[in-house]
Amino acid sequence: MEQFNLFDNTPGQREQLFISLYKKAFPAVAKYVSSKGGSFDDAKDVFQDALVIYYEKAISATLELKTNEQAYLLGIAKHLWLAKYRENINLSPIDSAYDLSEENEPEPSESKLIHYLETAGQKCMEILRAFYYDKLSVDKIAGLFGYGTVRSATVQKYKCMEKVRETVKQKSLAYEDFIE
Amino acid sequence: MRTSLNEIKLIDEHLFNNGSTENALLFDAMRIINPVLNEQIAWQKHTHKIVQQYGRKQLKAEIEAVHQQLFKEPEHKSFRQRILRFFGND
Repeated sequence: MEQFNLFDNTPGQREQLFISLYKKAFPAVAKYVSSKGGSFDDAKDVFQDALVIYYEKAISATLELKTNEQAYLLGIAKHLWLAKYRENINLSPIDSAYDLSEENEPEPSESKLIHYLETAGQKCMEILRAFYYDKLSVDKIAGLFGYGTVRSATVQKYKCMEKVRETVKQKSLAYEDFIE
Repeated sequence: MRTSLNEIKLIDEHLFNNGSTENALLFDAMRIINPVLNEQIAWQKHTHKIVQQYGRKQLKAEIEAVHQQLFKEPEHKSFRQRILRFFGND
């Protein structure tokens, strides 16, 4: 895990990370899924979800690797496979932490909103993603997005939040199904 | 920073519970004198949810691009064959 902490989380570095994780861990996952009668696409689906879980845990520093990356990813992939096909009803509570659960899936109106934001507000969405999803440091964000100072990157974050929040409000009210 | 941006910062600190005690007290006072603030908090919370979903969607697209690279480019042929062999087509 130490290796990941040192990893400079830029798009290029993420690409390298995923290539390396694919090479290290996908063969074992593919072998497992095929042994259970799953298809190549099944293996791909569970492995890609496992990578998302791995990434989200790693950036929020909640991941304590007791085994290597390959074993960790295989463990999550097995869990996802079992959950998907309900072959095993005795999943331990700790395993449920590995779910990309349904409640996190966007509602149809949210998907529509995200699609709108991808086209109409991409720059701000990328900045907000870097801060809040990728959890990059403000220094790194200033560098990546070309802001001269940490302060101007911080101000930009809040300006983007203000702008996107207004869009979310307007569009959600227009789609009429946002209930808090 | 503008007042409205400061308010956004305070809402973030409230949502993530990572501000100073002083700011939290100030924020509680602001909520009492300005009930509209509660609405802003709800929208900001929802915006964070949307940003998470957006982030995850972009990340999945990055992972899919890596998959396409590994399963299309000639340099990864042996890796590809090793995988496809499990599914009975190499």
